[in-house]
Amino acid sequence: MSDYLLEIKDVSKFFHGLVAIDDLSMKVKKGQIYGIIGPNGAGKTTLFNCITGLYTPEKGEIIWEGKKINGIAPYKIAELGILRTFQTIRLFSEMSVAENIMSGRHIKSNQKWYNGIIHTPSMKKDEKKNWLKVGELMDFFELSKYATTPAGDLSYGLQRRIEMARALAAEPKLLILDEPAAGLNENETIKLAQTIRKVRDQGVTILMIEHDMDMVMSLCEYITVINFGAKISEGEPSFVQDDPVVIEAYIGSDEDE
Amino acid sequence: MRQSYKIAIVFLIVMGFFPLFSNSSWLAVGTTFLIYSVVAFSQDIILGRAGAFQMGHALFFGLGAYATAILNVHFGVPIIYTFIPAILIPLIMAIVLAGPIIHLKGDYLLVATIGFNIIFIQVIQNDVFGLTGGPNGIFGIDVVRIFGVEFMSQTAIYYMSFILLTLTLLIMRNLDASKYGRAMFYINKDDIAAQSMGINVRYYKLYAFALGSAIAGAAGSMFAIQYSAVSPEAFNVVQSIMFFTIVLVGGSASLPGVLIGTFVMFVLPEIFREFATARYLVFGLAMILTMILRPRGIWPVKFGNIPNYLKKDTK
Amino acid sequence: MDIFLQQLINGLTVGSLYALVALGYTMVYGVMKLINFAHGDLVALSAFAGLTIYVEIFGEGKNSLFVVLSVFVITALIIAFVGVLLERLAYRPLRTAPRLSAVVSALGASLVIQNSIMLIWGPNMKIFPSNLFPSTIWTLHGVVFTFTQVMIMGISALLMVGLYIFINKTKMGTAIRATAIDQDAAKLMGINVNRVIMTIFIIGSALGAVAGLFIGINYRGITFDMGWMYGLNAFVAAIMGGIGNIPGAMLGGILLGLFNAMISGYISSEWAETFTFVLLVVILIFRPTGILGETIAEKV
Ligand SMILES: Nc1ncnc2c1ncn2[C@@H]1O[C@H](COP(=O)(O)OP(=O)(O)OP(=O)(O)O)[C@@H](O)[C@H]1O
Ligand SMILES: [Mg+2]
Repeated sequence: MSDYLLEIKDVSKFFHGLVAIDDLSMKVKKGQIYGIIGPNGAGKTTLFNCITGLYTPEKGEIIWEGKKINGIAPYKIAELGILRTFQTIRLFSEMSVAENIMSGRHIKSNQKWYNGIIHTPSMKKDEKKNWLKVGELMDFFELSKYATTPAGDLSYGLQRRIEMARALAAEPKLLILDEPAAGLNENETIKLAQTIRKVRDQGVTILMIEHDMDMVMSLCEYITVINFGAKISEGEPSFVQDDPVVIEAYIGSDEDE
Repeated sequence: MRQSYKIAIVFLIVMGFFPLFSNSSWLAVGTTFLIYSVVAFSQDIILGRAGAFQMGHALFFGLGAYATAILNVHFGVPIIYTFIPAILIPLIMAIVLAGPIIHLKGDYLLVATIGFNIIFIQVIQNDVFGLTGGPNGIFGIDVVRIFGVEFMSQTAIYYMSFILLTLTLLIMRNLDASKYGRAMFYINKDDIAAQSMGINVRYYKLYAFALGSAIAGAAGSMFAIQYSAVSPEAFNVVQSIMFFTIVLVGGSASLPGVLIGTFVMFVLPEIFREFATARYLVFGLAMILTMILRPRGIWPVKFGNIPNYLKKDTK
Repeated sequence: MDIFLQQLINGLTVGSLYALVALGYTMVYGVMKLINFAHGDLVALSAFAGLTIYVEIFGEGKNSLFVVLSVFVITALIIAFVGVLLERLAYRPLRTAPRLSAVVSALGASLVIQNSIMLIWGPNMKIFPSNLFPSTIWTLHGVVFTFTQVMIMGISALLMVGLYIFINKTKMGTAIRATAIDQDAAKLMGINVNRVIMTIFIIGSALGAVAGLFIGINYRGITFDMGWMYGLNAFVAAIMGGIGNIPGAMLGGILLGLFNAMISGYISSEWAETFTFVLLVVILIFRPTGILGETIAEKV
């Protein structure tokens, strides 16, 4: 077994002949907070979609704990311990906050097919255990008072928190966050950074895309920079920050962050 | 949804006393209403909960009815025993038929399921195996006998249907508070998010099809008992469209909604029988109007069905 | 071989009708993502309206080119108007509602139109006059084909070519295609989406009207509920071709017409529908979005 939890090896992904990811490689260590940055349309989200099985890369390998996982169905990838949030929030918006977070408990629940029809004592215990876990997460994310509110009725910042709570409910080994600070105000962003650190300290490895450079530079321990689908730089924040190639890419694409 | 259980219980109490106040023709309407409610709930599992556009549900209702009719009339199997195959055959057929097409997107699935229904009707109408009685169907289905006691009065049949509906409502309640029922909602609301949370979309959709079809089969068996006959037109696409519409007009995944839907789509037309031809015109207009005024149905579902101990800070 | 050629002619005739009707389904679906369940009933309405216009206004027996053209144009205008009305009253209020509410509204509209036909013209079959088109029949190597069949194939082909040019070469056609791809983006580009939708309802209904008249002229017997059968077949054709895709509807229509004719010719017409749907399911298993439909990976 290698030291790396997740390895991306020469991955490429095309859309109708257009290159979205171009021969990309990177390695994420266990316990790291790993950042991915790059201008709009660079292919960052596409990379996450490849890792989580929503897209199948045309080329290359995605290795999880030493095993190749590309081409595997998204639900199996979640079962392996890779959970994510979405750049464009995808909550079950008509359902309550608690029910949304409960979806994360799906893979941890051991109910049998007949429990959809008949409840058994062990099933009720399982049910209770999972709801309590949802309760804990709502406390942690300060969502308890919205437990029965439809997720879609809440503010952007709250919705981002619900998405994170939902992913964490599955007790992931790797938490993938796609622009978690997008749309948050300054206070919320600071709090988010603290939360992410706390989550990592509980043993969850973090892989995140973020445009907020202050946050990325202070939070991430290692960063990969992508432009036009290809890696243009990688290293610790201090290195990446001063890399002329990176500065060039950001100025060239009139990124204003 | 807690409130919806209370409403369901009140409804059951009212229906439990209904035979005391009704004449025989209304008792027959009441019995069919109970049976159709069961079918509507089974359709709701597939359409309202799992979100699969099933527009051929009468097929499974019919499979149950024909299973009971054929086994009883041609093979002399007592009605009571036909109940099991009337549940299992639709269940297995649902998996066999829906399996290869379950991945189809919304409207493609809808047309394919209409297709299955139409094929089913052609098969029984052309009397392929010499068992279905062609366009006339099958007559002379026996009455239910348990330990030598005959349950043949209208009232007895009413209460058997009543029990079936009660069981169905229990299943709906259990489903709502289980991993399986929730998984269906997640898939329905956002299948990509659901997959990313580790939910096997195909498996839970098939589960919904299997469970819904099994319940529809049980209702079919009861329907055959009520009329002591079966014939193709009770299970054609027009009926499927009715079940589909019941769920949406009433309110997907809502217990009171589905009951109201069945009442509005089935009992009301019975009440307005005298207006014979014009009633379907009015009916069509009412469908349009209902959707415009209440796009989520007359009594939409309310989510937030969570244990009380999680509601501590709410308000 | 004779059976084959004969069924080829019959199949192309029916297929042309399916294609004309399928275009109405596919255009509406392309822009609104809605199965317009009432479309088949507009086709039936057209046959009845055409019958009344012909007999009451022009008088049975007159069949000059002017009369024939007038019957077609007036009927098509009426049906187009009904189509626009349908969209205004039953679909527009539901544009932002959940998708399935519009489906129920469409089913309701289908009931309304069907039962209106029944209330106006009665529940029994009406017979379309036989003399609107000349009853010329040609026989070639034992294969029979009628003037009407030739007209159906010819006019349908012309209309489809016309539609193809309209969609691909005109400004309105471009607006329609843009709206089909992304309604919101189209709106931002200054496209009047309401006008686009009105246009597709006018065109789709008018094409359906032509099909309805052809059905009356060719098969003669018309019933208030026949729209269901033609509508379903045409809709299946649209799905086979890839719903939302205009050439797909044409291809699906012709394909289904030919397939049906061959099944009736060589196997049995009793099982026509079964074969139709088996073909549909097989196509969908291999091509989940129809023959010409594209699978687009959803952007996440
Ligand atoms: N499903 C898809 N079909 C076609 N093209 C796609 C699809 N998904 C992504 N793309 C294209 O791939 C490229 C990369 O997109 P991606 O969303 O990965 O960028 P990103 O780096 O996440 O950008 P942003 O910072 O704006 O989120 C873009 O050109 C995009 O249009
Ligand atoms: Mg992105």
